[in-house]
Amino acid sequence: MDDESLTEGQNGLSQAHKTIAEQQAEIEQLRSRLANENFTQVLRTALITASTAATIASPVTHSQLLEMIVATAAHILSAQAASLFLIDNHTQELIFEVALGQKADEVKKFRIPLGHGIAGLVAVSGQPMAVANAESDLRQASDVARAVGYVPRNILCVPLVYNDRTIGVLELLDKTGDSSFGIDDMHVLSMFANQAAVAIEQSRMHDSLVPLIVEVLQSAGGIAEQTKEELQQQALDFITAIEESPAYHNAMKLARLIHEISWQGDEELKLCYVILSNFAEYLRARAKATSELGWL
Amino acid sequence: MITRQPEWSKPFTADALQKLTPVLPLDNITREWAWEGGTGKGVKVAVIDSGIDASHPAIGAPLSGYVTVIEKPEGMLLDTAPHGDSYGHGTACAGIIRSLAPDCELYSIKVLGEGLSGRSTVFAAGLRWAIENGMHACNLSLGTTKKDFYALLHELTDLAYFRNVVLVTAANNMPVPSFPSVYASVISVAAHEGKDPFVFYYNPHPPVEFGAPGIDVRVAWKNGEWLTTTGNSFAAPHITGIIARILSKHPGLTVFQIKAILRALSSNMTRDGSEHQV
Repeated sequence: MDDESLTEGQNGLSQAHKTIAEQQAEIEQLRSRLANENFTQVLRTALITASTAATIASPVTHSQLLEMIVATAAHILSAQAASLFLIDNHTQELIFEVALGQKADEVKKFRIPLGHGIAGLVAVSGQPMAVANAESDLRQASDVARAVGYVPRNILCVPLVYNDRTIGVLELLDKTGDSSFGIDDMHVLSMFANQAAVAIEQSRMHDSLVPLIVEVLQSAGGIAEQTKEELQQQALDFITAIEESPAYHNAMKLARLIHEISWQGDEELKLCYVILSNFAEYLRARAKATSELGWL
Repeated sequence: MITRQPEWSKPFTADALQKLTPVLPLDNITREWAWEGGTGKGVKVAVIDSGIDASHPAIGAPLSGYVTVIEKPEGMLLDTAPHGDSYGHGTACAGIIRSLAPDCELYSIKVLGEGLSGRSTVFAAGLRWAIENGMHACNLSLGTTKKDFYALLHELTDLAYFRNVVLVTAANNMPVPSFPSVYASVISVAAHEGKDPFVFYYNPHPPVEFGAPGIDVRVAWKNGEWLTTTGNSFAAPHITGIIARILSKHPGLTVFQIKAILRALSSNMTRDGSEHQV
């Protein structure tokens, strides 16, 4: 990429940041109007679209993206704390993936058995749930919170669903300036949960390669046990070799760059495609030219 | 890019609520005729959920039967020994039903227990038991999002319809369809903000046909506790309770007759140009 393109890219990036800042300012302005006027639903839709668009357009990694989704959801729905849990199917527990709020670092240490408390129930049932007056009503839901000295007054929890499967839950605690989370909040949080589930599954694609192959081999019928084990070992060796190869790492770096660019928008992705296509075309032409000069 | 998904409770908000015009003489019935004096006596109601804690004060009278569905490698095991409630969710639904129909015969069909594996098959087995064992109404505040179960649950809900077993299902608040709540043969319910248990609305634009209280409602929970909670899960049992009252006064009604009665008596039905008074 030449200097001019780089400058263009930087200009584009600073423009994107400016847009995001402007949208944030607009969101703040809208939020203050929201308190005074009675068209909550219309504004909420606008807020979600603007804020989520800004979040997704940011050049971030998956973990940052998840944190941003949770933070944006908490911000939009005026929650004082938020957590995103993933289900560990092996141990049948919920594990904190993202925790935001005063006691975030402390709550992250806990694992929650499925079925325990509101988050555990939502994970098992796949049904969203809101609880008001949690402090007085729901002693069993706030074990973790009490252990870290933070007892929520109200809770909103929705499942993270991907491909018909509940993979975790997204939970907000303590709505500012309101007695509880409402049904509209439930709808809005569900949309954020949708975004988060997609982000999580994308990042898992690579992680799940090894267990996937092992699972496929284990379930394959008609193969002798010894052959199966050999195949399994070969597959693992193959994956290890791939992962350790510098070429693989370079390819992954390139893939991440393209992925990052794709988050910037269609125009940026198109530009990236044109540049890479031209470069690939040049390489193909060079190879052809070289071969044309070879021995007949 | 975010696609706005159906918000099932939206048709029941004050701004969106559609007034209904009665079709006479079909809609010329009264709440007095439909359920006044009905207590649910003689009506078998199954709560297909996480179990029921029969000792909770909200449940009042003993349960008439228990079934715990357990998936074993050799098949489904149906255990009829009394059980408790693993989570509180089933007790919450049962408490609402009993608050409206205190004399109904409650059956707890426990399909949500420890662990996640195979719960859709367990759910389907529990539903089949209810249909084949003489239940009159079933409360399904649970569903599955797994498309693999679409056909099986469709078959079961049709079977229920043909056998006059009313299935009352909670609509899913999530942007994914939940089965069987989207089928035409069931009564699908979402939450509205009202608190009066007898205020329910009909939505002329299905799949979700009825709205009932489900926002910040006080419900029974496990270990004898109470909880103020929100979810369509708690709207469905309000309709189930009303149906139990209707059936105790008018045994043998079909599912389509019950739907027609509920529509006629919904709170957004206009009477002489004004909203129906409760």
